[in-house]
Amino acid sequence: MRAKRTALNTVKYLILIILSIVSVFPFFFMIVGMTNNSVAITGGSLHFGSLLADNFKHLFASELDFVGSLKNSAIIAVVTTAVALCLSSLAGYGFEIYKTRRSENIFNFLLLSMMVPFAALMIPLYRMFSKLSGTPFQIFGVNSFYAVIIPTMTTAFLIFFFRQNAKSFPKELVESARLDGLSEFQIFTHIYMPVSKNAYSAAAIITFMTSWNNYLWPLVVLQSPEKRTVPLVLSAMGASYTPDYGMMMCGIVLSTIPTALLFFFMQKNFVQGMLGSVKG
Amino acid sequence: MKAKKSRLQKSGWPFFTPSVIIISITVFIPMIQALITSFQSGPPTNMQFTGLANYQAMLHDATFKSAATNTFLYLIVQVPIMIFLALIISTLLNDHRLRFRGLFRTAIFLPCITSLVSYSLLMKTIFAPTGIVNKLLLDVHLIGARIQWLTDPFWAKVLIIFSITWRWTGYNMIFFLSGLQNISDEIYEAAEIDGSSKVHTFFHITIPMLKPIILFTTITSTIGTLQLFDEVNNITKGGPGNATTTLSQYIYNLSYKYTPNFGYAAAVSFVIVVAIVILTVIQMRLGRDDK
Amino acid sequence: MKKFRFKRLLLAAAAVTATVLLAACSSSKGSSSSSTSKDNKTLTVWCWDETYNTPAVKDAIKQYKKENGKQKVKVVTMAQDDIVQKLNTVLSSGGSKGLPNIVLIEDYRIQSYLKAYPDAFADLSSISKKGNFSSYKSAVNTVDGKTYGVPFDSGVAGLFYRTDLIKQAGYTDADMQNLTWDKYIEIGKQVKAKTGKAMLSLDPSDLGLIRIMMQSAGSWYTKSDGKTVNIQNNTALKQSISLYKQMMDAGIVEKVSGWDAGVAAVQKGQVASAPTGAWYSSTIQGAKDQSGKWKIAQIPRISENSKSVNASSIGGGGWYVIKGVGNVAGAKDFLGKTFASSPALIDQLAKDIGAVGTLKDAKSGANYKAAYPFYSNQKVFEDLLSWSNKVPEVNYGSSTYQIEDVMKDPVQSILKGQNINTVLKNAQAQAESAVQ
Repeated sequence: MRAKRTALNTVKYLILIILSIVSVFPFFFMIVGMTNNSVAITGGSLHFGSLLADNFKHLFASELDFVGSLKNSAIIAVVTTAVALCLSSLAGYGFEIYKTRRSENIFNFLLLSMMVPFAALMIPLYRMFSKLSGTPFQIFGVNSFYAVIIPTMTTAFLIFFFRQNAKSFPKELVESARLDGLSEFQIFTHIYMPVSKNAYSAAAIITFMTSWNNYLWPLVVLQSPEKRTVPLVLSAMGASYTPDYGMMMCGIVLSTIPTALLFFFMQKNFVQGMLGSVKG
Repeated sequence: MKAKKSRLQKSGWPFFTPSVIIISITVFIPMIQALITSFQSGPPTNMQFTGLANYQAMLHDATFKSAATNTFLYLIVQVPIMIFLALIISTLLNDHRLRFRGLFRTAIFLPCITSLVSYSLLMKTIFAPTGIVNKLLLDVHLIGARIQWLTDPFWAKVLIIFSITWRWTGYNMIFFLSGLQNISDEIYEAAEIDGSSKVHTFFHITIPMLKPIILFTTITSTIGTLQLFDEVNNITKGGPGNATTTLSQYIYNLSYKYTPNFGYAAAVSFVIVVAIVILTVIQMRLGRDDK
Repeated sequence: MKKFRFKRLLLAAAAVTATVLLAACSSSKGSSSSSTSKDNKTLTVWCWDETYNTPAVKDAIKQYKKENGKQKVKVVTMAQDDIVQKLNTVLSSGGSKGLPNIVLIEDYRIQSYLKAYPDAFADLSSISKKGNFSSYKSAVNTVDGKTYGVPFDSGVAGLFYRTDLIKQAGYTDADMQNLTWDKYIEIGKQVKAKTGKAMLSLDPSDLGLIRIMMQSAGSWYTKSDGKTVNIQNNTALKQSISLYKQMMDAGIVEKVSGWDAGVAAVQKGQVASAPTGAWYSSTIQGAKDQSGKWKIAQIPRISENSKSVNASSIGGGGWYVIKGVGNVAGAKDFLGKTFASSPALIDQLAKDIGAVGTLKDAKSGANYKAAYPFYSNQKVFEDLLSWSNKVPEVNYGSSTYQIEDVMKDPVQSILKGQNINTVLKNAQAQAESAVQ
């Protein structure tokens, strides 16, 4: 029995190690790329070169302000994530706990909003934001970070996710909290939120990542070059007939670090049996 | 008075109204405008109503047909594989006795944040005729001749399916990992005491308990695949010929690569919407019935 | 305890959000006010390559300063696809806010813009004089007799070839002059046999080579009106596709996917030639170890087609002025004194970025007269410019990319051996319904 278990364990680790290698391989390629020139990179070289310092120097000397774009992306992604988590979890929880026929219909209708390709919505949406100029809401109009954030600050995707999570949230907890005299909002903040750390963590990772990589909408709605986000700057770098891939790899690796770190710290909240411990 | 107040308190409206308002403004209003556009054609600044002309044109449009066929092929083949893989991986990575758990998880998550630029560059080099993959396959005698991964219509599709799976499995893993935390330990312990095997536990406890999340990932992956653009546009550009092109890429081309034809592009978009709605309704029904 | 910590985390997040929101708010106010004050004065130029057309604009700005020191001009680099998207989104919503005064647009695309947004671009007839440029360029940027663009670089095609590999195959430089494609394939077979290397690399999804061949015979996917689809009865197109097939069948092609793979094939020395646009020069020179091994010959012609000449074009672009942004006079003055008339600037560009101009007067410039060691001391700029002046005029119309996407599958079927006439007949019908 025990021998069988160790064998099984070995197989498990082996599978995980192989999967990890396959997954990390392109990332490794990027890191190697940081030290090479374009010719080596497009040739698929996996040997470290000696150009790391040069590539970084080019990156920071480029007129495409990479550091500035990191700052812009950080502002947008942090605000989007914070706002989206609050609004969407409220809605997802609301739809599940206070289910009525009408709310079900509204929810199903909301789902429709994630089914339309964004390319089809972009031009009407742009027209809407461009009409804000000259009105008191001008600061929310085109070329503002608000215009980037607003369409993503609550999404059917996240609402759906929080709702599916709330399905396994024991309803008895709500009832007993009501008897204890908590208001409905307090039940959400005091009972639901603390036991849903896992859902919030997953949502935070996904939202931050989506916002950080968001491309089409910021491209169209941001106009001044100094407001460009990281993907826009990287795209401008790669546009050349002879792109400097060494420099780009440095930028790319730097730009993936925030999401990777966020994931590493957030995944610690994926610990089994949390709900059980709260209940008991 | 008191009864009224408590009913009001127990309603979900305060919870979801803000989101409903925002989504209505940022999605539904533009969506209605796009729907109107789909019945129009002509130069973008002076579009005229042409009724169903755009929708009729699709019936005779070979590019549209190959894009639609490819897209559905990706959907049918890729989504089930990816969801199942993600389920198994997240179950493995959920074990609290597992060492280096955080590292394994982060490693498998990495593909979805690896930049498209470097990822497509790499895919193109390792799957080149003389690339590593062919070399490996030749060495172990799995194939007799080099496979033209990027320029053969069949293998290019295989490559695209592999690439999407590689990139998005870790993404779906997050939702499963998070969902697995809602299953209490006691259930697993009870199963272990009953002497049920790991496989049995996986199919009879994990999957049923995760059902809401499986439904969520299936629906969102369906949507994602039907709107697939990035991987195809970066790795094969839709080629060889139109062998790997997708509906989203076609919409993009109609709007930006060709003389802008926003009416037709909008019409193709709504074909995608209708397809997704139908599939979602089916999936929802399946997910609900045997609950 | 656990609860408490999580709440504190949330509070912290809320605080961060609030400060960031405030910061975003104040910063967006600051820059928006400064940009409105700038708008009337500074001219903005958009282009897409930090190593190619961006430095070209900078050279122009430097030169323009001598003429008009007060006018400020700034250049913004953006991916070409990004420029295309921004232009389409903003122009189609009826405005022009946020667009630049001057924008670089590819020759293949400009007619579709001029058609889709007829009032968006300024008439540049007064500064962009037809007779001053390679004549084929004026077929590109003219609508109803009005010129809307100032030509930037020439897309003149050349046959870049490796002298060492050609020699090993038993040919001399003289053999490479004024080739026909038939002869080219024959040489390719020898190269393959003697050196084991491919003659050229081709991306099956990119029909650029077919475009080169067609234009050398003065033909295109559409007739000279730029609208009527011309596929089924297009002799030059048929000849081009069958040449394309012959190359593939002869085994002299290294199949690649995407631009970078093609570049890699050249830089790694896997191919003996590259029939492509003059702008490829800077890419080839990236392989410094191959210096002295390259030369450029005229592009081959189609032997069975009497109209076909040893000159063609691929790519290339021009500068266009967006009317609604304002200060059209300033933008015209800038272009008029730089790209539209200054041989000195065009000569400078040859040196700085390796761009071949289309301004006829540039031929007397020092850099055009110079011999280049990388190309075995050939006077490449002089040659390319003189070929540029011979490129047959073709109206690219507004559907080049669209028809080409329709053509991709038919070309694949022909390569697989299907009958060219039936395939092209179907392609004609498809293209007609796509273009409408």
